[in-house]
Amino acid sequence: MGVWKDRKRLGILVALGGGVLLLLWYLAPWAVPHRLFGGEGVLLSPFGHHLPQGTLPPGYRDGWLSWVFYPSLVWLALTLVLAWTPKPARKLYLMGILGLGLFLLTYLLFQASVAQVNAGAERPILRRYTLGLGSYATLAYSLYLLLLARLFSPGGLAFLVRRRGVVVPLFSLLLASLLGGVIVAVMKANPGEAKTLREAAMLKLDLITYTYQLLYSPLVNPSGFLQSLLLATPLILTGLAVALGFRGGLFNIGAPGQLILGGIAAMLVGVYLPGPRWLVLPLAILAAALAGGLWGALPGWLKARFGAHEVINTIMLNYIAASLFLFLISSNEYKFFGYTLYLPFKYPGYEARSYEIRPEARIPHWTELVAPGGELSFALPLALLLGLLGYFLTRKSLGHRVLLGLLAGMVGYLVGGFLPGPAVNFGPDLTSVRLNGAFLLALLALLFFHFYVFRTVGGYELRAMGLAPKAAEYGGVLSGRKMVLTMFLAGALAGLAATHYVLGGGIDEYRLKQSLPYSVGFDGIAVALMGQNTPLGVGLAAWLFGILLTGGLQVNLQLGISRELVAVLQALIVLFIAAGGFLPRYFTDPLRAAEVELREESRKRGEREETP
Amino acid sequence: MNLDAAFWIALFFSTLRQTTPLLLTALGGMFSERSGVVNIALEGIILFGALTAAVVVERVEHTLGPGPHPWLPWLGVLSAMLVGGLVALVHAVVSIKYRADQIISATAINLLALGAPSLVLTYFYGNATNSKEVANRLPLWGPEGFALSPLVYLAFLLVPLSWWVLFKTPFGLRLRAVGEHPEAADTLGINVYRMRYIGVVLSGILAGLAGAYLAIGFLNQFVRGMSAGMGFISLAAMIFGKWHPLGILFSTLLFGFASALAIQLQGTEILPAVLVQAFPYVVTVLVLAGFMGKSRPPAAVGRPYEK
Repeated sequence: MGVWKDRKRLGILVALGGGVLLLLWYLAPWAVPHRLFGGEGVLLSPFGHHLPQGTLPPGYRDGWLSWVFYPSLVWLALTLVLAWTPKPARKLYLMGILGLGLFLLTYLLFQASVAQVNAGAERPILRRYTLGLGSYATLAYSLYLLLLARLFSPGGLAFLVRRRGVVVPLFSLLLASLLGGVIVAVMKANPGEAKTLREAAMLKLDLITYTYQLLYSPLVNPSGFLQSLLLATPLILTGLAVALGFRGGLFNIGAPGQLILGGIAAMLVGVYLPGPRWLVLPLAILAAALAGGLWGALPGWLKARFGAHEVINTIMLNYIAASLFLFLISSNEYKFFGYTLYLPFKYPGYEARSYEIRPEARIPHWTELVAPGGELSFALPLALLLGLLGYFLTRKSLGHRVLLGLLAGMVGYLVGGFLPGPAVNFGPDLTSVRLNGAFLLALLALLFFHFYVFRTVGGYELRAMGLAPKAAEYGGVLSGRKMVLTMFLAGALAGLAATHYVLGGGIDEYRLKQSLPYSVGFDGIAVALMGQNTPLGVGLAAWLFGILLTGGLQVNLQLGISRELVAVLQALIVLFIAAGGFLPRYFTDPLRAAEVELREESRKRGEREETP
Repeated sequence: MNLDAAFWIALFFSTLRQTTPLLLTALGGMFSERSGVVNIALEGIILFGALTAAVVVERVEHTLGPGPHPWLPWLGVLSAMLVGGLVALVHAVVSIKYRADQIISATAINLLALGAPSLVLTYFYGNATNSKEVANRLPLWGPEGFALSPLVYLAFLLVPLSWWVLFKTPFGLRLRAVGEHPEAADTLGINVYRMRYIGVVLSGILAGLAGAYLAIGFLNQFVRGMSAGMGFISLAAMIFGKWHPLGILFSTLLFGFASALAIQLQGTEILPAVLVQAFPYVVTVLVLAGFMGKSRPPAAVGRPYEK
């Protein structure tokens, strides 16, 4: 009985998806071979409609559209029918894969058609060309079919529920993106005149598609790619700072303040401490971590000692840190009750900024790490390789393995430094991106988080405190001390984020400046939630936001939509993740999730016993 | 620099003005927490309210002309309250119906309040930081030189009113019951969810009012980040005031005084302005650290209720 009900539901879901697909095929352009800077383009659709905005070069042939369109129609019809036949799951798998193939075909034919026009020309004639929503709808429907097929084969729901740490953030991202699309549609008028309702819809859908294409464009463009890593660097660190707090049951909204303190300390050491590079640079980085850590430990202590809630305290400390920061670098002369206090920190001039970091204390630019002196260096790759070998090939306790890995990594770095490499030239597009060694620092922080939280006793206690504070205390965790330590480590991670800006020159100068974007500390909340407080998740989420922020610049330049669109998307993602993606309760509640898994498990066993 | 009578009078009135948004928001926070829902989204809701008031008034002026429209600022106030209530409703739905972590859901709204105003401002004014100045601000009531915005009077009138509502009406009793022991309240036939929705939305309406006061009472435009932590300070004041209207009156007066002092000291040679600005925040931390008696929050606050 259950099987038939399921199959009926599957058929309806497939039909719904197919209907949406058909609608999008009709309403949205399939490809936009040519586009102007402001987003207006020539919209191609197999329903015989070109909206001429700008002109296509005379040689362009759009015959490829029918090569894709008719097979797609047949494919769609097949999926709709097959969903109602017995044992539909396997057939839908096949259809899904076939759909992916169709999308690939669309992509290749479109690229070929553009290449054919661009072939003889000196400068490419068609430069801004993209697929349209109609083609992407094929892709989305294929993925949807694959998902349904998995869901409706035995154990499918348990499969998804077990992966709820991925399902909930991705579904929230999807929801936020849909809502973001609506926002774009409302905020931005159509780029061209539309005579019919369908044309208006076509233009709107194209506008939304192009916005997202721009947002994700750093994925396919080398300098944008580096830029996204650059923006991800502080996000990884502040994301970890928030995630560590969450793991310990503390909500650290204080990352901005901790970052500011880290910046101040890095500036003090970097500007005023003379010495060789091997000494000053590590000291400056440590100072940033220490200062951020202490600033974080303060609300931890206030909570442990007085029971003052850390949320409001960390927020207040953000404002206090901002005041302190301005106090130090916005003027050198202050009056206190008629007495004058002189400070040495502000660099002369109108702008509020410190003196420059001494060259010895600067974190090197990525070109210096990858190719010092214009020659590709093997130091980092070799260090990574030997480090991994050292870690994975030893069979000793964890401490030994990490230590050996580190030692092997250092040996690799030294040896690799001496190997001669080929000369490379990256070109101004790539070298102008201010990605620096702080990115490696962020990756190391991810490793640290993983080992500390999941592989040490201290991390175990931390998680115990987060999951069940009373049980942890009963089990021997000194919760007060643990709270202070957790907040110290979280603050230290946020403090490290400042090294990217101050020591690494992440924005434009090697200074502490008023423009220090300390609000990335708030973005850390979104990163931590999106990454579900795991190191891998935080890394990926930070990179995702790095991509969106980089793309946001293009959206602003080309479409005139404020870059804050990305901030709104972030906020929506946080909101939806908090609501469990509006998914059924077994995706958010571990107990109910276990129930579902057990039920499916027993059903599967039952079926296996019935079949022979 | 002599601290003459003029200084103290200016300080007094400045204190009243600075207290008003804090008082409104803290009373709102009280209703929400008494019903069992933490609402740190009030900070963001103030911003949404301020944005709404400023944009609505400016847009109407844009269509009708600037000429004095005495009703216009009140329209701004009403729309700010409406939007404040709606934003709070989002928080309520997510944290009551979907049982989200109340602090995370509220933080999402605060993050939204950092980004969304820029989108709206860019759409209307092509600039991401502030709205156009409005001509029709809220009027000033009172004798010449000592006139105050009507919302100031309203805020202080709300103190006895909310005391009466909370402690002398069946509604208040139900609200408190739901926040103290929802299971028991449910057994007695009180709709826990509805009471919580009302509490949260009420807090949003009051925070929206505070926002309107900032945008078209205190200033005449919306400025990015103009709430400057007032929502958070209000929550601290609410804790300090022990979730009681009278306590909240005194604690917000303390914070208002700290802010007013900071403003009055600016430009003098007594203390540097950048440091004085941090004064209310430092006071908040000190107060929360327990330079106050023991205070007990509503027993069920922060805990989603499940039937």
